[in-house]
Amino acid sequence: MSFQEGQKYTGGTMAHSAHVLNTIDVGIWEYNITTKKVIWSAGFYKNLGYAPCEIDCSQRYFFDELLYYKDRDTFINTIRHASEEPATTQIRLLTKKCGYHWFESKAYKTETEAGTVLYGIISNINEYKLLEYQAAENSFLCAETNRIAKMGGWEIQTESMSLRLSKEIYDIYELDAQVPLSVEEAISFFEPAYRPLIIDAIDNAVKYCKPYDMELLFRSAKNNLKWVKAKGVPVLDKYGKCVVLRGIFQDIDSIKRRGINLQSSINLLDDQNKRLQNFAYIVSHNLRSHAGNLKFMVNLYEETDHKSDRDEIFSHIKTISNSFNATMGHLDEIVKIQSEIGRERKPVNFEKTFNNVLSALTTNIAAANATINADFSSCKQINYIPAYLESIFQNLLTNALKYKHPDRAPVINCYTKQSGNHIYLIFEDNGVGIDMQRYGNDVFGMYKTFHQNPDSQGIGLFITRNQVEALGGSIKVESTVNVGTKFTVRLV
Amino acid sequence: MVHQPISAFIIDDDKIFVYGFNKLLQLRHLDAQIQAFNNGKEAIDFLTNPINSQFLPDIIFLDINMPVMNGWEFLKEFEEIQSQLGKKISIYAITSSVDVNDIERAKNNTLIKDYILKPINDTHLKQIFNLHGDEYVSKAQLS
Repeated sequence: MSFQEGQKYTGGTMAHSAHVLNTIDVGIWEYNITTKKVIWSAGFYKNLGYAPCEIDCSQRYFFDELLYYKDRDTFINTIRHASEEPATTQIRLLTKKCGYHWFESKAYKTETEAGTVLYGIISNINEYKLLEYQAAENSFLCAETNRIAKMGGWEIQTESMSLRLSKEIYDIYELDAQVPLSVEEAISFFEPAYRPLIIDAIDNAVKYCKPYDMELLFRSAKNNLKWVKAKGVPVLDKYGKCVVLRGIFQDIDSIKRRGINLQSSINLLDDQNKRLQNFAYIVSHNLRSHAGNLKFMVNLYEETDHKSDRDEIFSHIKTISNSFNATMGHLDEIVKIQSEIGRERKPVNFEKTFNNVLSALTTNIAAANATINADFSSCKQINYIPAYLESIFQNLLTNALKYKHPDRAPVINCYTKQSGNHIYLIFEDNGVGIDMQRYGNDVFGMYKTFHQNPDSQGIGLFITRNQVEALGGSIKVESTVNVGTKFTVRLV
Repeated sequence: MVHQPISAFIIDDDKIFVYGFNKLLQLRHLDAQIQAFNNGKEAIDFLTNPINSQFLPDIIFLDINMPVMNGWEFLKEFEEIQSQLGKKISIYAITSSVDVNDIERAKNNTLIKDYILKPINDTHLKQIFNLHGDEYVSKAQLS
C-alpha cells in the first residue's frame, strides 16, 4: 500500500462515515445504476430545506421536481462523464422556501460489488453565484462605460517598470493583439513633441509622487492622429514611496478638437473685435480731425475781414473737403471688403492678374526705372476673389515703388510658392526698408506711415491685410532698413 | 515788466491745424512766437542741437498721431534730454484722438500738463496763456 493509498478511507471505516455524512452541511446522493436505488443524505434534504421524509427520494422526483428544467441536459451530460474523477457543474435546484438556488454538483462513478454506482455532492453556492452575477454586471457596466468613454486603465509597477494596460487602451492604441508593451514602447506612440512631457510627468510621479493630468497628441498603430488624456496617480507605500503608478488613458479627440476650434474661433473673434475697435478709433480720429479743422477754418473765416486771409482759409477748407472725401473713400473700401467675403471664388491666374496690374502702373514703373521679376511657375493659379488678388498685387507693387531707395533703382521680385495646402505670394524689394523694431507692430495698421513721403497715407497695407485675412490667409513682413522689404502672403 | 513774447513749439503734421493755430493767436493778439515741427523727431533734433540753446520754448503743443516719431515717442526722448535743457517747458497734448487708451496714457504721463481735444478754442488758449504770464492775457482780447 502506497503512502497515498493510506490516506484513503477503506471499507472498514465506511460504516463510521455514514454518521459523518449525515451531519455535514453538504448534500450527498447515491444512485445505483444496476438496482436503480437512490439514497440522499440528511444534508441533501437540509440543503434544500426539506425534512427527510417530506419529499419522495427518487430519480424521477429529482429530475421532474427538483432540478430546474434548463439545467437537466447539463446535469445529465456531466454525469455521463463521471468517473473516479469528479465531473463538476453548477445546477439550480428547487428549495422548499426560496425557489431555485444555485448548487455546485460533483458527480463520481464507481464500480462496487453491488453494481455501478453514481454518487455526488451538492453544495449551496447561491450567495457566491449572486455575487458573481453582480460582479459580472459591474464589470460589464464598467467595460461598457469605458468603451463608451473611450477610456482605459493602466498600471506601472515602479520597481520593475512593468506596464499593464486594459483592453480599452489597446483599442486606443489600435493594436489588434494585446501584446505586452514596455513603458518606452507605450510612450513612443505619442507625437515626438509631446514625448518629453509624458516622460517628465511619469518621472516626477515616480520620483516625487506628483500626480499628473495632461492632454497630448498621440499617433495610433494605424497612424491615426488623436488627442488623448493621460492621467496618472501614484500609489504610495507606508514609507511614502511610489510603488505603483496607475491612471487612465482616454481618447478625447473629438472633444479636444471641438475645444481647439472653439478657441481658434474665440481668438479670431477677439482679433476681429480688436481690429474693429481700433478701426472705430481711427475712423473717429480721422473724421474728427477733418471735422475739427473744418469748424476751425469756418470760425476763422467768419472772424477775419482780410481778403487775403479769407482766400487762404478758403483754400484750406477745400483741402479739408478733399481729405474728407478721400477718408470716406477709404472707409467705403474697407467696408466693401467685409461685404465681399461672401463673393464666389474663381480660379485666378497669377500671371494674367499681375500683368493687368503692371500695365496699370506702367508710368510709375518707368518713372522709378524699376526692374520687376515675376515668376509664378511654382503655382500658376489660385481659387480666389479676382478683385482681391488684383488689389493685393497693386498695393504691394505700389508700395515697393513708393518706398524705393533714393540711391538705387528698384528691383522687385514677385513669385508664388506652394507648401502643403497653402499657397504663398512673396514680394521682395530693395527699397528703404522699415525699422521693424520700432514699427513692426504698426506696419499693417490704418493710417500708420513710417516715411515722410507726401503720398504715404497708411491705407494700402491696411486694406491688403484686411483682404488677405478676410479670406483666411495671413501676411507677414521682414525688413531691414536700407536693404529692403519682403512681404510673405499666405493666400490660403 | 520787460515785454518778452511767449515762445511755443507746435509739433503736428496737420498743416491746416498749424495754420489755424497761428491765425487764432494772431486774431487774439497773443504775442507768442510759434515754431512748427512736422513730427517729434524734428523737434528733438532742434532741442538737442546746442546751437539752439537760447531758443528753447516755454510751451510745447504736441500732437499724438504723427509719422516718423509720434507724440509718445517724442515724450520718451524728451524725458531723457529734459535735464540737459536748463529750462522748464510745459507740454500740452493736442489731439483728435478720443481713444481711451491715449487719454489714460496721457493722464498717467507726468510730462503732459493737459490733454486738449482738437480743435483748439478760446477757452483753451485762455487757460494756457493765463498760466504763462498775466501780461499776455491782459493784452489779449479773450472772450
